Amino acid sequence: MSGLLAGYTTDGFFDEVVDADGAIRPHYRALIDRLRGFTPEELERRERVRDALFRTAGITFTVYGDDAGVERTFPMDLLPRVIPAGEWRHVEAGVIQRVTALNRFLEDLYVGEQAAVRDGVVPRWLVHTASGFRREAFGVAVPHAARCLVSGVDLVRDEDGHYVVLEDNLRNPSGISYVLENRAAMTRVLPRAFSEQRVRPVDHYGPMLLRALQEVSPPSAGEHPTAVVLTPGVFNAAYFEHVFLARQMGIELVEGRDLVVEDHVVHMRTTQGLKRVDVIYRRIDDDFLDPVVFRPDSALGVPGLLSAARAGNVTIANAVGNGVADDKAVYAFVPDLIRFYLGEEPILPNVQTYLLWDDEQRAEVLDRLHELVVKPVAESGGYGMLIGPHATEAEVAAMARQVQDDPRGFIAQEVVGLSRHPTLVGDHLGGRHVDLRPFAITGETVEVVPGGLTRVALRKGSLVVNSSQGGGSKDTWVLEEEVDRC
Amino acid sequence: MRLDIRYLTRFLYAQPVSESQNELRACPANDHRQAVVHYHVTTEPASRVAAYHDYWGTRVDTFGVRQLHDRLEVVATATVETQEPVRPVAAVPRQRLGDSRFHDTHLEFLQPSAHVRWSHPVGATARRIADGVGDDVVALAQAVHDHVAADFAYQQGVTQVGVSVDEVHASGGGVCQDFAHLTIALLRELAVPARYVSGYLFTVDDATGADSHRDEVEVETHAWVEAAVPGWGWFAVDPTNAQHVGERHVTIGRGRDYGDVAPLRGVFVGDRRHELEVSVSMRRLALAPLGDQAAGRGAQQQ
Repeated sequence: MSGLLAGYTTDGFFDEVVDADGAIRPHYRALIDRLRGFTPEELERRERVRDALFRTAGITFTVYGDDAGVERTFPMDLLPRVIPAGEWRHVEAGVIQRVTALNRFLEDLYVGEQAAVRDGVVPRWLVHTASGFRREAFGVAVPHAARCLVSGVDLVRDEDGHYVVLEDNLRNPSGISYVLENRAAMTRVLPRAFSEQRVRPVDHYGPMLLRALQEVSPPSAGEHPTAVVLTPGVFNAAYFEHVFLARQMGIELVEGRDLVVEDHVVHMRTTQGLKRVDVIYRRIDDDFLDPVVFRPDSALGVPGLLSAARAGNVTIANAVGNGVADDKAVYAFVPDLIRFYLGEEPILPNVQTYLLWDDEQRAEVLDRLHELVVKPVAESGGYGMLIGPHATEAEVAAMARQVQDDPRGFIAQEVVGLSRHPTLVGDHLGGRHVDLRPFAITGETVEVVPGGLTRVALRKGSLVVNSSQGGGSKDTWVLEEEVDRC
Repeated sequence: MRLDIRYLTRFLYAQPVSESQNELRACPANDHRQAVVHYHVTTEPASRVAAYHDYWGTRVDTFGVRQLHDRLEVVATATVETQEPVRPVAAVPRQRLGDSRFHDTHLEFLQPSAHVRWSHPVGATARRIADGVGDDVVALAQAVHDHVAADFAYQQGVTQVGVSVDEVHASGGGVCQDFAHLTIALLRELAVPARYVSGYLFTVDDATGADSHRDEVEVETHAWVEAAVPGWGWFAVDPTNAQHVGERHVTIGRGRDYGDVAPLRGVFVGDRRHELEVSVSMRRLALAPLGDQAAGRGAQQQ
């Protein structure tokens, strides 16, 4: 193999581009051929084009736990990820199935008969001890039971290339803005390569999200519901995305102080006076949403918002209390929830997960901590987790203590040897681990945006792809179905 | 017993405030022991009140006042009919507390909660109490109640949220809320599910809970405790007054602790300095003998 892929090795991992025999997989051939035609100078030039595009767009991601408030770019690799149509059909069906079951579960918990708990599919105590279970939201209905308006289901491919679910993100999943920006940049960085293939578009995300918001607005909203994006403000890590989404949908971006509740109806303050708001795509956590029922010290939220939702005068999306379903211990029961609510076998399996309140499982996990991944149940973004094989003795010991103090607070999983994808490192391609976060939108039905966010662990050998942990991204191309040509 | 209740809360603000949003929990519960005949909430300035029942089954009235106001008055009037509860008679072995279904369905009342957290000294007291009791959950709950009622002193004063169970245990006294939280902690330590009850007690004396010779009294909001007895139900005791809960107790709501049943929660925009006035008056209604009622108004619908 010449040029770019010279000396490229798969090291026993499933590689997205190169198969076990060292051959380029068919759906990558056109792309790799095109890239092989580039001189190193040409590649460098394209990288400069990319950097300029992203700088102009102002795409940043604030990293917590790093220097406070530092803004970094979330670098897009020059090589896109390509998913053939058949493979995508499988992923799409699996995500729709999973999100459908999760919506049903949440609806049943908050306004239904709690059948899954009653029948012992999910232990009652597990629900009752989930920090994301919001008793304050009990009885608040959501039109079409669309509780997970936007969900991000994190998938990885194992050593055999099978897609498995790593976690569900049902509260405020972020990252869709990178999907759109990556695509916009890619069409300018590699225009020929892009146009040579029939890649399914993603730029309808804004209209798609807006339509879902309008579908879930209260019946009282009439023909032309008013939707807004509610942001905690400029200091939030994903503020850029909040601005971006409001612009994509052509609706107002508001902060809590821009909204006011009167007689259980939400209004937006405008220069022309108050304007009624029917549906709120909120990117504020439950805890800060309404100081009357949640944290009274929160200045980010809207006092009286929950009572307005309860009165059926406004829809809050994503719904309040979704955190109970993406709790990482409840995750372990999602395959059973799919069987229970849908009567189907799960299309996408879970990663082997250990529940640490079980004495036997905990003992085994504590013995094997250095081989496993341990995650706090209620965090997202990769915060507070331990990757056993890459951890120091001290880190392993510290995690062992945490697990013993709070077995309900953590889960352990087998390490998945995430698939790798050639990624531009300096002047050559190196294999880096990737995952995939497809975004599903629930309005009257569940739809998945073709592709999603492919995240890359830029550090060699690293398995952590979260943007908050310094990962990068790839544009993700889902190819159109082959059409028979007569 | 039929009682008329008038609950009033009045905020007098130092400066006019606006955009006030509130949740009121003041409506007597409808349950096996009491029936609400009438309930109505009004506010001044006037507002549109919307009601719902929360996770714990308590009626909540929500309302907001957007325009500037320098006082807010909330009045809730209720008429309620109460009965003496049935009390458990047969002994229930403590072993039944460990029944997995019982444990699972009562978990929320077995664990520490926001206002009911305790450490070793409270646990030690609980075990000491249990040592002297036979194998009966009711007797155990009674013993915990008796201990708190006898060993802790009622201290007249403004009810303060934020006193911990450990502090109450160490100081030896408190108000009804503290008695309730401590009793709940002791019961939970002994694996007896326990919940907090907020309500009113028709009495002239909060310390003794004595019956009134008058038919109209001014009271404060009160709190007591219910313990779950396997196979039987909830056994209600009032450790502040060393008595069983009876027809003079009017239940409003139940929860893990005070936080789940706080009478009024709200926020507003403006200077936070204010004066607060809360008053609850209860009036015992004379009932005509049943025979007369049947004869004279038999065909009348309520």
